Amino acid sequence: MATLAIDARHLTKRYGAERGIDDVTLRVEQGARFGFLGPNGAGKTTFIRLALGLLHPQDGSLSVLGHDIRTDRMRALAEVGYLPGELGLYASLTGRRTLDVLGSLHPRPAVARAELCDLLDMAEADLRRKVRQYSRGMKQKLGLIAALQHLPPLAILDEPSGGLDPLIQLRLIDWLRERSEQGMTVFFSSHVLAEVEALCDRVAMVREGRLLMVRGIDELGIGRIRSVDVRFASAVDPERYRATGVQDVRVSDDGRTHRFTLSSPPGSLIAALDRLDVEDLVISRMSLEDAVRVHYDGPPPT
Amino acid sequence: MRVIIGLTLLRARGRIIALSLGFAVFIMLVGLSYASVDQNAIRTLIEQLPPALRALAGASDLASPAGYLGAAFLHPVPLTILGVLVISITSSVTRDRESGAADLLLSRPLPPHRWLAGQTIALAIALGIVGTAGMLGGILARSVVADLGSVSTRGVAAAGLGAMLLFAAIAGVSLFIAVIVPRGAQAVGWASGFVVASYALNYLAQVWTPVDVVAPLSVFHHFEPGGIVAAGALPWSSALTLLGVAVGGVAAAHVAIDRREIGGT
Repeated sequence: MATLAIDARHLTKRYGAERGIDDVTLRVEQGARFGFLGPNGAGKTTFIRLALGLLHPQDGSLSVLGHDIRTDRMRALAEVGYLPGELGLYASLTGRRTLDVLGSLHPRPAVARAELCDLLDMAEADLRRKVRQYSRGMKQKLGLIAALQHLPPLAILDEPSGGLDPLIQLRLIDWLRERSEQGMTVFFSSHVLAEVEALCDRVAMVREGRLLMVRGIDELGIGRIRSVDVRFASAVDPERYRATGVQDVRVSDDGRTHRFTLSSPPGSLIAALDRLDVEDLVISRMSLEDAVRVHYDGPPPT
Repeated sequence: MRVIIGLTLLRARGRIIALSLGFAVFIMLVGLSYASVDQNAIRTLIEQLPPALRALAGASDLASPAGYLGAAFLHPVPLTILGVLVISITSSVTRDRESGAADLLLSRPLPPHRWLAGQTIALAIALGIVGTAGMLGGILARSVVADLGSVSTRGVAAAGLGAMLLFAAIAGVSLFIAVIVPRGAQAVGWASGFVVASYALNYLAQVWTPVDVVAPLSVFHHFEPGGIVAAGALPWSSALTLLGVAVGGVAAAHVAIDRREIGGT
């Protein structure tokens, strides 16, 4: 069996009475592009910091590329490139000096620095400036270059696109996909679902410190399953239009607005709706956002 | 570790240069001012002071060349200069954890105790540079002012070394504080509090006999620069005590850092 990039078992971390993460078991295969999703405070950053050994779990174990993070942390970190969600750069250093300092602390040579500077539009003149003169986006680029310049076997990126303009985001996603095809594992925490959808082949969702689910993007039915919103002139019982493939129906309080997913062709649904007084109908291909909504929203699906 | 030493010195280089210049110039000016001092007038003035104020001048004879030049090393100006240097560098351990800079460094294969060791060595180098500057200021004044001719270069150097050891001891305690508290402001506050409390204890012991018995608990009790300049040497017991506090503080900080988590959530 191939060594896992991240192998967390029953990982638990609490902050006093507050829960960080609770009994999380998560396996990330090498070469995967793994999206880690959840709202603020769900425990994403706590999990990442545990994976880097910056926090110590109360329970459970975690290994990175076969190295136990508690007993063999240095060898684990030698394989990792990390971009924190909140970058703490030294304002008095130039960009180049920052990269040199961080680069020299890593055993792998910084072979991809020039390539990443080109990719992220980080000019030589920018690198000569002090970090205190950088915009948020420039700092983010510097953090990305520092994290990825060694071509680490495992890249852990916490909210990597914050502050980047859309063109640079796309370039970064393409670069990560390319590198992943060459073997790099990308563990990607983000609020921007579109970029997770564009990059990741597998996603995990956390809520209130607990792992809700781990699925392949294919299994979520993104693109294949449809998201349907219907507004009726008066309250309607979902049983009146229920057709093959209609799932996860949620009805507004007034009984007029219905939202559900549809996993089969829409013909029979449209025929059923034709008998009812429909004011508005929107059928769209399901996005990752819809899939997330299904898992996070309100009461369990009917 | 060389990277961390270089990084720490690079970040503190402005402070090191400014404080070195400040310390050297201050000690030199105090030395130069001795040319205009009427020794008898100073003695008379000190004798007229109430004991509580006289204690501020220390145990040595302030009117003598050695006592006068030695007192400069315990003046609030050098105490502030060395205190700012030491506390600003040690508290950066906490501030870096607070800002997330430590995350960037320690998410690379750098053990926390090596990170701390790098900062400790950089601090020792910075303290050495600033202390030596003060020492050189004193030596320069001694060579210019004829009335200070009785003071030996060795004595001034010993007083400078004593000041460095005093602040090395303070640095050891400050470093330990910096490791165990979560916020930079707390690191600065507690370390400053330690310096003030230690100074106050030593002062109280000089003016209030019942406190005399606990005076050795103050690091300032082990640094009497007037006597050091006069004797031309640092007493071994004082040097070892200050060194012991410094090493103890640093050792405790190194044990603590490997047990601590880095930063917050």
